[in-house]
Amino acid sequence: MMPARPGDEAEDRHALDIALLPHVRPRHWGRIASAAVLLALLALLARAFAQGQIAWTVVAQYLTWGTILEGLRNTVLMALAAMALGLVLGVLAAVARASPNPVLRAAAIFYAWLFRGTPVILQLLLWFNLALIFPVIGIPGIWSERTVAVMTPFLAALLGLGLNQGAYTSEIVRAGMISVDAGQYEAAKSIGLTYGQSLRRIILPQAMRVIVPPLGNEFIGMIKTTSLASVIQYAELLHNAENIYYANTKVMELLLVAAFWYLVLVSLLSAGQAVLERRVSRGVLRLARAR
Amino acid sequence: MRSRLARLLVVLPILAATTAIAAAQALPARIASSKVVRVAVNGTYPPMESRDPATNQLVGFDIDLGEALAKVLGVRLEWQDGAFAQLMPSLQTGRADMVLSGISDLPARRETFDFIDYLKSGAQFLTLASNTAIRTPLDLCGKRVGTVRSTSFPANIESWSNENCTAAGRPAIQYVGVDRMPLVHLELQQGRIDASVQGSETIPTLMAANPNAYRIVTEPFTTVRQGIMFLKTETELRDAFAGALRTLFSNGTYTALIEKWQLQASAAPEPLINGERLP
Repeated sequence: MMPARPGDEAEDRHALDIALLPHVRPRHWGRIASAAVLLALLALLARAFAQGQIAWTVVAQYLTWGTILEGLRNTVLMALAAMALGLVLGVLAAVARASPNPVLRAAAIFYAWLFRGTPVILQLLLWFNLALIFPVIGIPGIWSERTVAVMTPFLAALLGLGLNQGAYTSEIVRAGMISVDAGQYEAAKSIGLTYGQSLRRIILPQAMRVIVPPLGNEFIGMIKTTSLASVIQYAELLHNAENIYYANTKVMELLLVAAFWYLVLVSLLSAGQAVLERRVSRGVLRLARAR
Repeated sequence: MRSRLARLLVVLPILAATTAIAAAQALPARIASSKVVRVAVNGTYPPMESRDPATNQLVGFDIDLGEALAKVLGVRLEWQDGAFAQLMPSLQTGRADMVLSGISDLPARRETFDFIDYLKSGAQFLTLASNTAIRTPLDLCGKRVGTVRSTSFPANIESWSNENCTAAGRPAIQYVGVDRMPLVHLELQQGRIDASVQGSETIPTLMAANPNAYRIVTEPFTTVRQGIMFLKTETELRDAFAGALRTLFSNGTYTALIEKWQLQASAAPEPLINGERLP
């Protein structure tokens, strides 16, 4: 658009009438060029993988191999179970942290300190080898059992991953609770709700909007963290892929098979997270539309 | 004194002759110019290779043998300590020139690699000294037996169980695949497994480090050789090291190292290439 010259009014009016201007579609030459470069690089990468020392027929063969699918199932199972345990513990710890009771507060702080303070692989090894400290566990007089019979690879992985996740989740939930305006607490109190009722009906539902995105992030992280349980014999996806390549020495092929399934799982979760985020933010979205 | 002198007098001419042979087998050009050989090792398997807790340095029979070979060839070794499962990929990706890590020379591995055999080995069952349920090898049928899952031992256990348990109508051994050798010993101590399998050459060291803790169930039930592993394309490097190893056998260094690490029961009579005598 040319700047109008002073003293040429008729011309000016004409030029300022946007509807009369020819419509020129913007050409984003930079975008086109960068997309072309990226596509070319991607093609080179694909070619390198195709020509590299990788037996693609082996990859195809093991993609739906029984042991791999069983590992996939165990990975999903462990991620769900550990995340559920982490969520319950995390909400309890966050509520305890915000509680007026100093004992609860201290316990919640101690819990987060202990489990965030050590690597999760170390915690897994501790749980799995608990029998060196407690050879027998049980309730005195009622029930007792050898620790190794109770502490199966599944339970050790669940406790290790779930307790660790709970410590992280408690911080996320706490952030969500802090994000709710103080006036909401006061309003809940003024209409006669107890502390528990106000948490359940007023505070936590509003905190969800802030809690869900980082929690989805944690869930995606958990899918991959389950692979650490391979060191304590939990037969998850990577563990089973490893066992196959230990026997047939097709290392890269089996790693690519595992990578494929991890990517599938994470893609599904990302889609689910988007749906869930829309649902918990529907109040805010409605307001935005009304404006 | 006199006998040592006499031995030296006998050894010296042989030493001179064999060094000449070793020198004749030239190193590949890239190593002849760099004077460095990269060696992949998994330092979790005493007395073959492990980290000295006091110094964090790699120690063991393989380490001493490697350094002695390097001295003969006039090269420096660059040890790369990693996971057992990474030993073979490290050769295939060119990260290392050879593997010297108590690894067995097996038919399946020989499809991709060459071996200079230098030690006898065999899979051997081990249980806790306090375990009264396992007295004879056949007591292992139906029991839980663990070993490192990335090694050849799982397959050894399976075929032993098929031959001795299943074929005779006894319940099969329940194999437990563990991540690393130290964790196998933890599982034994907790009663998670009833017995374990490891290479015969490593058991005396384990028993000495843990007096009265373990008991051998039987003699080694497989016969294999341990070898220095090379890519099939690295024949020059392989032959140079084979020549150097022959020197160590003839000049008494090999026997001295065997005695130092108390591996008398595993000593090999002569070095071999892929199970064949050297040319």
